[in-house]
Amino acid sequence: MTEAQADVLIIGSGHSGGMVAKVLTEKGISCLMLNAGPIVDFQKDRELKPAYELPYRGFKMPGRLEHVFQATEFNANTWVDEKEVPYTYDQGNPYNWVRVRLFGGRSLFWSRQSFRLSDYEFKAKDHDGFGDNWPISLADLAPYYSRVEEIFRVSGHPDGLPQYPDGNFVVNDSPWSGSMQRFIAAGKKLNVPVCKPRSAMGRDGLASSINLLLPDAIATGKFTAVPNVVVRQITMDKNTGRANGALFVDRHSRREMSVNARVVILAAGCLESTRLLLNSGLANSSGVLGHYLIDNVYGPGVVCSVPEARDGKATPDLMGGGALIPRFRNINTKAKNFIRGYALNVSSSTRPMDPRNFAAYGADLQKKLDSYEGSGFSMGMMGEVLSHYEHYVSIDKNVVDAWDIPVLHVETSYTDNEFNMARDAVDTGVAMAEAAGFEVLSRNYDPNPPGYSIHELGTCRMGDNPKTSVLNKWNQSHDIKNLYVVDGSSFVSSGWQNPTMTILALSMRAAEHLAEQMRQGNV
Amino acid sequence: MKAIVAVPVTATSMFGQTTTAPSGEKTSAPQTSSTSTVPPADTAPRSIDQRGSFGFQSPVIPATVPDAIATTEGHFFDARQMATLRKLGDILLPPLDGYPGSAQASAPEFIDFLISVSPAERQHMYRSGLDQLNADAEKRFAVPFADVNAEQADALLRPWLRVWMRDHPPAEPFAQFINLAHEDIRTATMNSQIWSIAATSAGERAPGIGLYWSPIDPDIEMYV
Repeated sequence: MTEAQADVLIIGSGHSGGMVAKVLTEKGISCLMLNAGPIVDFQKDRELKPAYELPYRGFKMPGRLEHVFQATEFNANTWVDEKEVPYTYDQGNPYNWVRVRLFGGRSLFWSRQSFRLSDYEFKAKDHDGFGDNWPISLADLAPYYSRVEEIFRVSGHPDGLPQYPDGNFVVNDSPWSGSMQRFIAAGKKLNVPVCKPRSAMGRDGLASSINLLLPDAIATGKFTAVPNVVVRQITMDKNTGRANGALFVDRHSRREMSVNARVVILAAGCLESTRLLLNSGLANSSGVLGHYLIDNVYGPGVVCSVPEARDGKATPDLMGGGALIPRFRNINTKAKNFIRGYALNVSSSTRPMDPRNFAAYGADLQKKLDSYEGSGFSMGMMGEVLSHYEHYVSIDKNVVDAWDIPVLHVETSYTDNEFNMARDAVDTGVAMAEAAGFEVLSRNYDPNPPGYSIHELGTCRMGDNPKTSVLNKWNQSHDIKNLYVVDGSSFVSSGWQNPTMTILALSMRAAEHLAEQMRQGNV
Repeated sequence: MKAIVAVPVTATSMFGQTTTAPSGEKTSAPQTSSTSTVPPADTAPRSIDQRGSFGFQSPVIPATVPDAIATTEGHFFDARQMATLRKLGDILLPPLDGYPGSAQASAPEFIDFLISVSPAERQHMYRSGLDQLNADAEKRFAVPFADVNAEQADALLRPWLRVWMRDHPPAEPFAQFINLAHEDIRTATMNSQIWSIAATSAGERAPGIGLYWSPIDPDIEMYV
């Protein structure tokens, strides 16, 4: 088979794959999308059930999905099982690789926090000398962010802060609850800004590739998808030095097949795209493929109670609503023992409290739960992880997955910068809570294992220098002009921000660049 | 596969249809198929569902969950450990305000099952934790933990209770056991059917109801 089956082969169906499919097909370019898992039927595949009808009474099935802290017995079937697609790591440095192979990928389940990176991230090296700048700035990406925010209907409030760039928002002018007003006042005393959160509203309760992006691609008649095929390798035309398609395995039968295309786009999720390139032995003339693995630090946080809301006195005026404290460290001042910064997610809750907040049991615990119900106020950290060459993924030649494809070995851990930042985040949260008159019930300084945030980034980073980066500033391989990688693996630094909006804006920009290159006959 | 099952073809029509007719154009099955001397079943693909049940509607069977009519046969903990766990459940989550306690929800028996299928580390934490709790009771009050009174139980347990956050249980082994066992006892009790019935009759929303995802197009041979 030498005839190309499609102009562009897209591997992966999440946010980035969906975006490139939409942009390219709307320009008349035919796209074939391969996805490793099945298509979900939201009506057929889900139903409300009580825990007592489940085999483990609502407990996560023992021994299964041990690195997916987000897994429950209810949602266990939506995650990739580590026994089916293993990965390895050194015993002392566990890694939580949290994956979804359903059609639509993790765009089906993301938390929807929608932020732009600022030039404190794109040009981070200019501020503190560490690491590398991105080859682009906010000005390059801003027009794409605006279009993505429109598609995803991002609710937010313009705040005019350079480290928290405003966007194309559905403006959220809702009033702050009383507890939030007290927290904002406490922040003013400590020079900590407290802003409205920014979140994709999507449509019909979903903000995913399958409802916001792919319908536009499907409408062009230029889009075809093949679910349940696991790509093993990107194939090359030896004469031209260009990619010409892929080898894949049927997920059920394990039949091996090949497919041809003029262009190949990897959108399989950061580490799966990198794994595919490593297994294919491609796009690594720089030697940095797999290196500079980063993510966001999650886990440290504070739980408080608003005393005036206890004993049934919580009102909608006093309690409720969320806030976001954008990065404020190392903007105008210098923190003593870490660079970069973190954000805090803030939530005022009218719900019952978690019993773990009380060192009590039996009737005494129940009394406390009754008294504190509706008075909860909590903060959770989202911190930048510094990019190091020594934090990397490679192929573990001794282990294969269920389709005989060699798996990844992950080698990473947090360093003092992340731990010191975590300590500062919790101490700052406690100081603000106390200044607001809240009772601090619980605090945690310990980060969750790397990977937990489901924001794995880097390993295929972009840059102007082909000797120190895998992709150019258009997400295009330096080595192979008709090979693009559009998921989070292109990131040079993580920032504190949920990366989804940036992944979407980058993939939209990459697809437009590719379409133009194809029009000019360069690709 | 699903499409094949759902299409109501008979063996005769399927075997006869060796060519695809353009829509709207009537053709008869090729002669070779119906006059062949070779039995078609030897060479042609078989239709999967030949049993004529396509139009069948399933009746509603009055089904219940096993917990409603049976008790769990525990076999993991020894008798002393089980007695300690039952007592621990009674102390940590007794019946309160019309809701069942640990014993009424058979939480200890369920936990015996759960730990029996858990990783070795969790099994060790439970066994050594229960053993230590009992040893502490014997040492301080000269009775098994199963026989301590409320005041004695409080003296044994309270020093180990911690405030902690999800995914970050206390690091000291015995504190970890006490706090994780407390959480397990609460979950096993509050997710039970008997708790759900109590909540419903109290006019409250039953806990433990969630959006369950079925296995989606599972692999034929998982974990090869």
